[in-house]
Amino acid sequence: MHILLAEDEAQLSRVLKLAMEKSGYTVDAAADGQQAVDLAKKNAYDVMIFDIMMPKKTGLEALREIRATGDRTYVMMLTAMTEVDDKVTGLDAGADDYMTKPFSLKELLARLRSLERRNEELDDDVLSFGDLTVDTNEQTLESNNSISLTSKESRLLQYLILNANKQLSSDDLLNHTWDDDDESADAEDVWFTISYLRRKLSSVGSTVTISGEKDGPFTITA
Amino acid sequence: MNIYGDYENSLHRVMDDLLQKIQNLNQDEVTHHHPKLYEHLISRVKDPDSMVEKCQRKGYPVTTQAALRQCKDAIGLRIVCNFIDDIDRCLTLLRHVDWCTIVKEKDYITNAKPNGYRSYHLILDVTTPYQDVDGAVPGHYYAEIQLRTIAMDSWASLEHEMKYKHHINNPERIGKELKRCADQLASCDVQMQTIRQLINGD
Repeated sequence: MHILLAEDEAQLSRVLKLAMEKSGYTVDAAADGQQAVDLAKKNAYDVMIFDIMMPKKTGLEALREIRATGDRTYVMMLTAMTEVDDKVTGLDAGADDYMTKPFSLKELLARLRSLERRNEELDDDVLSFGDLTVDTNEQTLESNNSISLTSKESRLLQYLILNANKQLSSDDLLNHTWDDDDESADAEDVWFTISYLRRKLSSVGSTVTISGEKDGPFTITA
Repeated sequence: MNIYGDYENSLHRVMDDLLQKIQNLNQDEVTHHHPKLYEHLISRVKDPDSMVEKCQRKGYPVTTQAALRQCKDAIGLRIVCNFIDDIDRCLTLLRHVDWCTIVKEKDYITNAKPNGYRSYHLILDVTTPYQDVDGAVPGHYYAEIQLRTIAMDSWASLEHEMKYKHHINNPERIGKELKRCADQLASCDVQMQTIRQLINGD
C-alpha cells in the first residue's frame, strides 16, 4: 500500500514512517497540511494519515480540500485532542477512522493490516456460488455457458450471493445496488434486473435460482 | 458432371420445397395471430467444390453417395429469428411435421462453442417425391437447418470473416474479444426476450 503521512512532529513522523516501511508499505511524509494537499494531488494513495494540529493548514483543512477534489482515499486522523467533538468534526469532514495520541504503534499497524485485508477482499472479483462463477471485474456469469452482465446485474447478483438464503426486500436491493444519485430507480428497476438475471441463470444452465414475486422479497439459493 | 451427379436438380427442388414448407409454417403462425416465426430464411446447396473438399477432409470417397449420405449438409437452410423463444417455437413445429424426421440435434445455444458460437443445428431426413441416391421413390434427402437469433447471426458473420483473414497479427487476442462480444450479444438476446415477456405480462 502507498501511504501519505502528514505529521509535523519530526521525531514521531520518522518513527511512524520507519515502522510502516518495515511492514512493507511505501510512505511519503508531509511536514504540514499544505504539503499533504500537494502530495495528494500528485500521487495516488491507498491510505492517508493526517495529524490534526499542523502548520500552514490543519489536518481538517487539508482533508476538506482533498475531499473537495473528489478524492475518496481512506483517511485516518491522528490527534492529541480527546474531545468527542473533535472526532465528530473529523469524521464529518470526511475522515474514515480516528486515533488519539498517544496511540500504540501496534494498533496503527493492525488497523492498516485490517484495511489491506478488506481492500483485497473487495478486489477479489471472482465469486463462486453453487455451479456459478461470477466475475464482477469482467462482468460475466459462467456455468455450462457464459454470458455478460450489466453493471447493475453484476452488483445485484453479488449482493444476493453475499447474502444467500436471506430474504432481501426490493428496498434493500435498491439501496445496495443503485447509486444514491440515481433517484429515479425504483422497485420496478429491481424487478427488471431480477428478471434479466433469472433468464441469464437459465441460459448458462445454472441450477441457482432467485425466488420472489414482483415486489420482493427475493432470495438466491444454490 | 459434378459430385452431385444426376441429383443436383433434385437437391435444388428439395431445397425449394423445404423453403416453401417453412414459409407455410410461418404463415400458419401469423394467421393464428402469433408473432412471425423468423426474421429471415436463407438457403443454399453446398457448392460442389466445397463438397469435394469436405469429403476429402473427412476421409470419405469423393462420390455422389458420400456427398448425399455420409455428408448431410448438401442442402442447408438458415432460419434467423428475432427472439430466442422463436427458435423454440420453430423447433417444436419442426418436430411435429409429417414430411421430415429429425435425425440429429446439436444445441450450441445451451452449450455455446468455446469461441462463443451460438446456434441450434438440426439434421432433417426429408421425404420427397424425387428419386434419391439409393434409387428409392419417394426419396430421402438430408438437409441441415441452422436456427439462430439476429444477434447470433451477426456475430457468426463477423467471426466467419475473421476466420478467413489469415494476416491477423494477434488472433488469440481478437478471439478473446469476439468471445466477449458473443457473451454480450447473448446478454442482449436474453434482455430482449425478457422485455417481450414482461410486455406480454406473463
